Formats: sequence, C-alpha cells, structure tokens
Amino acid sequence: MRRSMRADETAARSSGNPVSLDGPARDPAVARTTSAADVVHVASLSKRYGEVVAADDVSFALPAGSVTGLLGPNGAGKTTVLRVLLGLAEPHKGEALILGRRYRDLDRPMHVVGAVLESGDFDPGRNGRDHLRVLAFAADVPQRRVDEALAVVGLARAAKRAVRTYSLGMRQRLTLAAALLGSPQLLVLDEPANGLDAKGVHWLRTFLRGFAADGGTVLVSSHVLAEIAQTVDHVVIVDRGHVVARSSLAELVADGKTLEEVYLALTSEDAA
Amino acid sequence: MTGVLRAELLKLRTTRTAVWLFAGLLALVCFVVLLHGFNLSPSRADHSGQMRIFGWGELGALFAALLGAVSITGELRNGLVRPTFLATPRRQQVLAAKLLSAMLAGLAFGAAAEVLAIGLGSATLSARGIPIRLEGEDYAQLILGGVVAAALWAPVGLGVGASLRNQVPTLIGLCAWLLFVENLLIGELPAVARYLPGAAAAAIGGATITGEVPTDPPLLPPILGALLLAGYAAVAMIIGIAATERRDVP
Repeated sequence: MRRSMRADETAARSSGNPVSLDGPARDPAVARTTSAADVVHVASLSKRYGEVVAADDVSFALPAGSVTGLLGPNGAGKTTVLRVLLGLAEPHKGEALILGRRYRDLDRPMHVVGAVLESGDFDPGRNGRDHLRVLAFAADVPQRRVDEALAVVGLARAAKRAVRTYSLGMRQRLTLAAALLGSPQLLVLDEPANGLDAKGVHWLRTFLRGFAADGGTVLVSSHVLAEIAQTVDHVVIVDRGHVVARSSLAELVADGKTLEEVYLALTSEDAA
Repeated sequence: MTGVLRAELLKLRTTRTAVWLFAGLLALVCFVVLLHGFNLSPSRADHSGQMRIFGWGELGALFAALLGAVSITGELRNGLVRPTFLATPRRQQVLAAKLLSAMLAGLAFGAAAEVLAIGLGSATLSARGIPIRLEGEDYAQLILGGVVAAALWAPVGLGVGASLRNQVPTLIGLCAWLLFVENLLIGELPAVARYLPGAAAAAIGGATITGEVPTDPPLLPPILGALLLAGYAAVAMIIGIAATERRDVP
C-alpha cells in the first residue's frame, strides 16, 4: 500500500472531526471540511435518471486514513454517488473529486483508486488470472502484481479456473484483487460483503482496517448495519438521494443510541 | 496506449468467443462453397460463375463485423465494460485499441476464409472435371479483397455495437443487413445499392457475398470500394466513440 498519505492523515485527524451532522443544504462547512487532506471531495452532487432523482445535493468529504460507511436503504442513491465518483456516470450538478481531480482526469487511476462494484463484472469464460492480467495491462501495472493480488485475496489456487465456476464470494474476492492491482491509496467498495460468508466478512473487515491503518482511505457502501458498525469510523447516511447524516461513528452514537436506532430514525421505511 | 492495446489483444486470446466465430466462419464457407461448387451447372461455370463461388470468402467480412461488435457489446452485456473503463477512463483509447485488435482479427478472418474458399472451390470444380477459369490476378483480388473487406468491416461492426450497445439487435442487424437487405437492394436498386457498405466490400474482392454481381451499373472499382468502405468504417467509429464518451456506463 502507498504510505504517502500518512502525513496528511495525521494532519486530518489532529484537525478535529472533519465531518459534521448538519444537512448539506444548511451546511456552510463543506468548504471547511474540504482541505488538501481530503482524498474524496463530493460537493452538491445531483444525478437524475429521467424523472427519478437518484442523488440530490450530496456533499461529503473523506480525510486520508479514514474508513467511511456510506449507508442507506436500497435505492437511496449510494451506488449512484459511487458511480459518479468513479467516472462511470456524469452528474447533472456538482462534482465528485479524488485528490482534487475528476476520476476521468486521473492519470493511471487504478494507481490511486481501487473500486469494487457489486455487479460482478467479468467475462464468465475467462479465468481469474487472465481477467487480472487484462486489467493490469490496461492499468499500466506490472504483471507480477497479478499473482500478488491473487495471493492477498486467497484466490491463488482457483486462478486458472473460468470465472463462471466461481462462487459469489470468490467473485467478490476477484473484484477486490482487481482493485488492489495498482496498490491504490483509496478503496471504493459497493456492498462488498454481499455473498461473503461469515469468515469472508471477518476477513474483509480485518483487511479494510489494515488497509486504513497503513494510511489508506476507504469508502464502503452498505445496507447491512451490523457489518458496518464494526468496520467504519465515519458514516454518511443517505436516504432518497439526500444526505441525512454525516458524522464520526463515535459522535453519531454518543448519546447512548445504537447505530441501528439512529439509522432507522433517519431513513424512510418505504423502499425508494 | 500500448497497455490498452495489449489488454484488448489479451482479451481476444483468453476467451473462446473469437475461436468460435472463426470456426463458425470456416464451417459456413465450407458449406456454401461445397453446395455451390457441386451444384454449379457446367454451362454457367464461366469466369463470373466461378468468381461467385470463390468469392464466398467475403463472409469473412460479416464475421469480422460480428467480432468487432461483440468486443464492445459483450462487455456491455457481462459488465466487464465497467472495470475496463475504470482502468482506462479515457474511453476513446479503449475503442481505439478495440479497433486495432478487431482489424487484426479481421485480417486473419478474411485471409483464412478466402484461402479456404479458393482451395475448396478449386478442388470441388476439379473433381467435377470443370476447368478453372481464374487467373493469377483473380486470386490476388479475391484474397486481397477478402482481407481488406474484413479488416474494414470489423470497425463497422464495432462502431455499430458501440452505438446500439445492445448485443442481440446489433448482431441480428449486421447479419440482416449484409445477408438480406443489401442483397435485395443490389437486385432492385443497383444504381444506389452499389454505394452501400456491403457492395463496397464486394467491389474490393470482385464478388458479392450473395446473389448476382450486378452489371448495370457494375460494382465500383476495387480502390473506390475500399475507400468508400473505409469511409463507412470511419463514420461508424466516430458515432460509436461519441456515443460512448457521452453516455453513462450502464
């Protein structure tokens, strides 16, 4: 992992809590929360799909070295925000920056950001190792990283098998291996625990904490609160496209409530 | 850019899609050449009749188009397009690499199909005691034409696939256009149809994929056919790249 963010991370942590509970509309502090130490900076982001407003005026910032959970019910806009952040979708308003630049303007982006999308994006006929070799060429990563990444996620023995024979959990591990190819300083994960068994979830949690301890920054979306509460130190809760809470986990549950109680109070019951 | 091209070439080699398309092409050429070769009436086994049989290698153009199309619609279908564009967010670079790799595969498709058509066609006619009427330059035009036509139809398929995005309509559309629509038009409206991309491919090789070679007016000269087809390929690619740059990745 890159450790170049360490100094920034320390600075961010010592400058106090950079995320606030205020809603984005009455939050004049977006500028304050945005500093050179912010790895991710999302400001007033809006995205519509036809009539559906998937994200409306979403703002948050991630300091280096933090593990932030992007929480919300199904359809709340989590994936939309991540898709815009990763340059796969264009916002209608606002911006999402990584180290001050749009994803599509990053030079060799996989050296900066590793992304794990939930959709399981493979050619099922290609084997796991060849999948990574293809991406390593495209991302300008040395081919030796392929076997290293396979070993990190525990897929070395299945590397020569077609992805169609993989279980859901193995596919998740392969996606994570792809995200790690470029030794990025930021990991963006969309529902990464989907399909992982208890052991897999535990492994992932340990991995993410270690990644952050090494100075890496993590943004992880989830609708499964139990897995999040033990992994993240900051949370951004979205509901129906709006940010309804933005805080450190400790602050959010400060008055004795559990994350689940706070979450249920803030989010709507209807599926969006 | 070299890394992106190497990635695309590796993609071609590491699934069976290209192999199956190649096998399908060769099987179809065998079938058609044998069928027509054994059925060709000796009274029609003149130069143009024989060119029609040997010209079935032009099917390489259709399969090159299918390969070009699948190289993008397949990724859109299975989702690989997302990691592809995460690794290379400058999407026109990805399409340029796909263009080169599909054209390379098209070269191989066109050459193999035409050599097979000539070899099998000659053997079939010889076995029936029909003298071969083709000269050295006919063979040269057939092979060169088959190769160029296939190399230029690959980007047409890629451009159409990148524009339509949906795999099944793209593949059906390409097949229907080349095998059916143009075939109808070249019979009914040859003055217009000779400027269409399928007829341009036929002009390069001197033989149509299907049906009669029109004589009034005839197909374009090979060089003009190649230039026209290159123009179609460029337009298809420009539209495909613009659509890919502008639209969200699904």
